[in-house]
Amino acid sequence: MKYVIIGNSYAGLSCADAIRRFDKSGEVVIISDENYRAYARPLISYYLEGKTTEETIWYKEDDYYEKNNFDLMLGKKVVSVDTSAKRLVLDDGSAVNYDKLFIGPGGTPFIPPTEGFNPDSPMMGTFTKFDDAKKMERAAKMSKRKEAIVVGGGLIGLKASEGLRALGLHTTIVELLPRVLGLALDEVSGNITSKKLNENGIDTATGETVTKINLDESGNPVSVLLKSGKELPADIVVVGVGVRPNVGFLEGSGIKIDRGIIVDKTMMTSVKDVYAGGDAAVIYDVINKRPNIIAIVPLACEEGRVAGTNMAGVYREYPGGMGLNSVEIYGLPIVTIGLTNPSNETQNVYVFQDDNIYRKLVYDGEVLVGAILLGDISGSGILSAIIRQGLKCLKYKDEFLNGNIYSFVIDNEFEIYNINEGYAIRGDFEDLPEFSRTNWR
Amino acid sequence: MSKKLTNLEEDLKKNQIEIMLYPSKCDGCESEGFAACVKACESHMAEKYGSKYAGARINIKKKGNKFFPLICHNCDEAPCVDACMPGARYKDLESGWTVTNYKKCVGCWMCVMSCPFGAIERIGKDHFASKCDGCSDEDTPKCVDACKKGALKRIGIKNYSYERRLSVAKKIYGPYIKSIAK
Repeated sequence: MKYVIIGNSYAGLSCADAIRRFDKSGEVVIISDENYRAYARPLISYYLEGKTTEETIWYKEDDYYEKNNFDLMLGKKVVSVDTSAKRLVLDDGSAVNYDKLFIGPGGTPFIPPTEGFNPDSPMMGTFTKFDDAKKMERAAKMSKRKEAIVVGGGLIGLKASEGLRALGLHTTIVELLPRVLGLALDEVSGNITSKKLNENGIDTATGETVTKINLDESGNPVSVLLKSGKELPADIVVVGVGVRPNVGFLEGSGIKIDRGIIVDKTMMTSVKDVYAGGDAAVIYDVINKRPNIIAIVPLACEEGRVAGTNMAGVYREYPGGMGLNSVEIYGLPIVTIGLTNPSNETQNVYVFQDDNIYRKLVYDGEVLVGAILLGDISGSGILSAIIRQGLKCLKYKDEFLNGNIYSFVIDNEFEIYNINEGYAIRGDFEDLPEFSRTNWR
Repeated sequence: MSKKLTNLEEDLKKNQIEIMLYPSKCDGCESEGFAACVKACESHMAEKYGSKYAGARINIKKKGNKFFPLICHNCDEAPCVDACMPGARYKDLESGWTVTNYKKCVGCWMCVMSCPFGAIERIGKDHFASKCDGCSDEDTPKCVDACKKGALKRIGIKNYSYERRLSVAKKIYGPYIKSIAK
């Protein structure tokens, strides 16, 4: 059996691990278009800050590929997939045959049409790959006025600006939405985050877009023109608006694509023996109850594992995931889970706020569907477990708001562990079927 | 411990070691003024990982008159491993424990956000997420050693799974299961 994996990152490697767990002898080929072995891609901004280095950015240990007997093909781009002949064509013209294929190509940065944007300039670019970070590191050294513009106030933009700021540049974030992290945060938490950024030398221009980038004769940026007419000086322009699934090479393969790659419960695409996962796959969103692309690391690993298990011949289903994210901005930890900006009137919002801490809970009836935690994130994992499982927990509302999230675990786990009484353990049996001596056994 | 089960010594030898909790026996060491397990863990971690990555990995939480030792449950497909962006947390195949390479940890708090037991702590000052490593290189975990109340027990995986099954069964069918515990 020959397994081929496109993509050498979280989804692809998790898939390879799952295959190896059940198939010790099968041939596993991992193809990547980059020239590095797997590295922690979201950490490229930490690389600029110096929190991670050339030694520690690698995702797996040095002998990972040899130890697991994975063939690694670096710097090879897949240009087309022939699903009827079960063959891939690479950019150097060679072909690779497969028995089972996993596609985890991730995303490519989306660049909004902007006059003057020139990705070939050493001072302009996107911010998703290790090479991008290295390019920005060089650009920061060349920059004379130490002024940088980051287009996009999402996670990529925020982290990119933090990295550039650490290199000594005065950075301005230009964001279309009225606040930074606009999709995940609400107004209050967005403002707290903006304030934190401003205190640390990062300006935020929200509700704005860059309409034009003025260039000098060699094609490097001089200034940017905003929608409001303002002109800001710029040595460096980084576009970090977001990513789109990297599925262009699948054209003509017969694999069904609707924004991302459509997969079934086993992570198999519309074509047999071809599986997909990661940032390019459309999976079931358990919060919004519809298919969705959720581009986060934990889900990429889960999807890859389910796909790999099925590829190795062991049936496994993926129940779906939800969006959640965690980031720290200058010592301010932020966690957003599930639905944070409810549009439905039946959903109730409960908020707690004091000087440094902000907590927001979104309930749909008795079920917790979303949360924002700012400042104090201890126990946030308990909330994400509750939200993902859709547990009823309205009675814990006040305790959650006061930060006493552990009380949920104590109540539930305590009863389960409590076996020393030798007697009935009183618990909440609402969800259990009525029990009596007659229907037991 | 049941007599019918496999011999504990044998279980410990052959299988990975787990820490079983008996929360009803925990009283948070309130009369002593400090929790013995927390203190033992603190000093051992400082010894093992150095002062930068010190700090207790076990935590006693209280609600009303109930105490609960919060500690890593060592999930099989651990959400904290999936969530770890730098690849700092991994499954140690020899000991079977989920352990952390703190040199790689950058403090993104993805694992804190993913742990369903709330057992991973954010150390904001030194920028790392601290998690119990099961003292897998020790004979007996230090918290178990320190606990004089019997709330923490070192146990092999077979016995662990049996005790868990029994406790879940007890939660559901409580009075109808004869206690074989003790």
